[in-house]
Amino acid sequence: MSDLDRQIEQLKKCEPLKESEVKALCLKAMEILVEESNVQRVDAPVTICGDIHGQFYDMKELFKVGGDCPKTNYLFLGDFVDRGFYSVETFLLLLALKVRYPDRITLIRGNHESRQITQVYGFYDECLRKYGSVNVWRYCTEIFDYLSLSALIENKIFSVHGGLSPAISTLDQIRTIDRKQEVPHDGAMCDLLWSDPEDIVDGWGLSPRGAGFLFGGSVVTSFNHTNNIDYICRAHQLVMEGYKWMFNNQIVTVWSAPNYCYRCGNVAAILELDENLNKQFRVFDAAPQESRGTPAKKPAPDYFL
Amino acid sequence: MSTVEAPLYPIAVLIDELKNDDIQLRLNSIRRLSTIARALGEERTRSELIPFLSENNDDDDEVLLAMAEELGVFIPYVGGVEHAHVLLTPLETLCTVEETCVRDKAVESLCKIGSQMRGNDLIEWFTPLVKRLAAGEWFTARVSACGLFHIAYPSAPETLKTELRSIYGQLCQDDMPMVRRSAASNLWKFAGTVESAHLKADIMQMFEDLTQDDQDTVRLLAVEGCAALGKLLEPQDCAARILPVIVNFSQDKSWRVRYMVANQLYELCEAVGPEPIRTDLLPAYVRLLRDNEAEVRIAAAGKVTKFCQILSPELAIQHILPCVKELSLDSSQHVRAALASVVMGMAPVLGKDATIEQLLPIFLSLLKDEFPDVRLNIISKLDQVNQVIGIDLLSQSLLPAIVELAEDRHWRVRLAIIEYIPLLANQLGVGFFDDKLGGLCMQWLQDKVYSIRDAAANNLKRLAEEFGPDWAMQHIIPQVLEIANDSHYLHRMTLLRAISLLGPVLGSEITCSKLLPVVVNASKDRVPNIKFNVAKVLQSLISVVDQSVVEKTIRPCLVELSEDPDVDVRYFAVQGLQSIDQVTMSS
Repeated sequence: MSDLDRQIEQLKKCEPLKESEVKALCLKAMEILVEESNVQRVDAPVTICGDIHGQFYDMKELFKVGGDCPKTNYLFLGDFVDRGFYSVETFLLLLALKVRYPDRITLIRGNHESRQITQVYGFYDECLRKYGSVNVWRYCTEIFDYLSLSALIENKIFSVHGGLSPAISTLDQIRTIDRKQEVPHDGAMCDLLWSDPEDIVDGWGLSPRGAGFLFGGSVVTSFNHTNNIDYICRAHQLVMEGYKWMFNNQIVTVWSAPNYCYRCGNVAAILELDENLNKQFRVFDAAPQESRGTPAKKPAPDYFL
Repeated sequence: MSTVEAPLYPIAVLIDELKNDDIQLRLNSIRRLSTIARALGEERTRSELIPFLSENNDDDDEVLLAMAEELGVFIPYVGGVEHAHVLLTPLETLCTVEETCVRDKAVESLCKIGSQMRGNDLIEWFTPLVKRLAAGEWFTARVSACGLFHIAYPSAPETLKTELRSIYGQLCQDDMPMVRRSAASNLWKFAGTVESAHLKADIMQMFEDLTQDDQDTVRLLAVEGCAALGKLLEPQDCAARILPVIVNFSQDKSWRVRYMVANQLYELCEAVGPEPIRTDLLPAYVRLLRDNEAEVRIAAAGKVTKFCQILSPELAIQHILPCVKELSLDSSQHVRAALASVVMGMAPVLGKDATIEQLLPIFLSLLKDEFPDVRLNIISKLDQVNQVIGIDLLSQSLLPAIVELAEDRHWRVRLAIIEYIPLLANQLGVGFFDDKLGGLCMQWLQDKVYSIRDAAANNLKRLAEEFGPDWAMQHIIPQVLEIANDSHYLHRMTLLRAISLLGPVLGSEITCSKLLPVVVNASKDRVPNIKFNVAKVLQSLISVVDQSVVEKTIRPCLVELSEDPDVDVRYFAVQGLQSIDQVTMSS
């Protein structure tokens, strides 16, 4: 068994890697991610997943419902970290799978894959607590800069974490962004990760989030028409039923963190696309209590020795 | 790890780090305390390290906790049991700190050390420490003291024993509830070391005082220990002294106390013997089963089977069964779930007739409960009923409900049913199985949840083991192989999984004639995931089929896959080819 296979087994048990292993893993991931396009091509069949937010045991539940990687192909729409108890284990498992099976799993960037946001919403503190230093946070946030911004499935389904941008009308415009940087406060790259579709908005509106925009149905219609795509698949917003279509099935929100923040009471969903792009939403609940480990208060000594 | 021979420099660093401002470094150093001690030697550990630790006023609880733990195993490093007393001083200080978990750990370590110390040393060093703590001004010391009496008492001379008993009596009446709580929860430990005469007089007096405490948290802890205390007494004394208290507690005004009684009642029954159970404890238990508070009913319902086991079947049917019926319709889902997790165990206790007449309707109603945990708890214990009511009745009465649950919308309920199927198959036999359940087993193979599909494939393997290859050829294989034409790659994947599991069970001939052609055909699938799983399945079939088939069919297929454009397909194909070579070489 290779080191990487062993690390994947270890991470599946929710045991974090050693700092030196994280460093090596991130270096390998960087080599793979740097080759990916801002609009990464993805083949069907593939299963699309929304926000995870460090809810490790719920992500294991996701794999129990959707199938293990590499048997099932996956596209994750970002927001792997923050808020949940296990951002470190969650992101490292996905990253290790990406390195082991680059063609079977695609990871794109969410607004939480950012230095600024993770310092406020938990990932930074978790790294510090689990490793006694912020080195692991540094390695991971450097990788965040290399994550692709969007994916295009069989040229028909456009996938992005947040939504559209007034600065973008064609996919080629996304392809020209220089993405290897911290998420900016405004501009096309920021909007792709921050924007939300909104019923009552006609055209573009100001976002209450303070970044990105609200966009209405006409914007989606024209974007889909211009780029010859069937629909947009995005995440970024909690939907109680796990998924939600808008604007006459031109855009769908997929949310994959059940009982978000361990208290919202929502169900989660993934979107299973078969080889003919037939859609099946698989809805699932949070993992039962007895299958969750209790968060360890103290780090094991060998992380800082 | 450093050893005795390790250079002194890192030791100096560790000692230095004991005083460092960075808590991580201090913690690190405390965890390596034994290394430091070994390097210093026993003499200097006693004369320098331990005094240093005693004076070390670290204010971080995490560091103190680690220190309390390390000192508990420190006897070898200070020169063996004859020097163990030097460890008492730092631990005594830790017994008085604010943080509860530090104190608890210090008490635990003191007990560890004390139980190894020689009798005279205990009298000279340990007992005075207990007395000092018990007289401590701040309540934390007195709380800690309560947990140490059972170590000090046995080796003390008569006068000292009298004094220790009287001090413990005072702690039981301390002004601070925290101290009384600690006295209550440690009482049974202390009681275990006290002579029988004093037990009946002094200890029971303390127990009675604690049970009448005006704080429910104190009474609660007194109940918690009463089963253990009861076991120390003669049955008639237990019945006379403990039983009335328990019966009283079962009607306590605080639900938390009643909850604790519900948890402890069964153990107490073991201590008092059969007669008092019938006259006193049974009515108390029935009251708890009908308590107003759901928490109490949950605790009581969870013990229903154990309780029935110590009663005669008549008493169980007469008194407990009516309550069980009520509980199965309880308004709280958690009560019903607690009942469902144990109620199947009542069947062997009550016997066949009562089970059929009385329990079966309850099972059926719980199987249809709206709360999935209730259904799940019943299903996972179904095997306990089979032996009692016999398979005919089971298939008539429970099977329809089981079949209904096979399509439950919660996948864990479906999973529990699948896992029960091989057992059911074994009991029902071939004839009954085919028409009723065969269809379901196929349906699960194409479930929308991966775990169900996977369990379904495994289930087929176990059925094939149970009923043999001929049966499998007739009833499983044709339907399973049809999945090869399914339009969803994840379903075709399940087929491959099933083949890899069935091959070894069905043997070489069927594998070659029926399974292998399907696998080879799947190697031309358009989805790479199917292709690399073909490679994995072929690898697993190498040991099932003849060498000639490996060379004629499996190898060429893997060779072709090893030139696939997809990297994962190539990887697993090469893995397969390597294992062929290994098998060839070893044979």
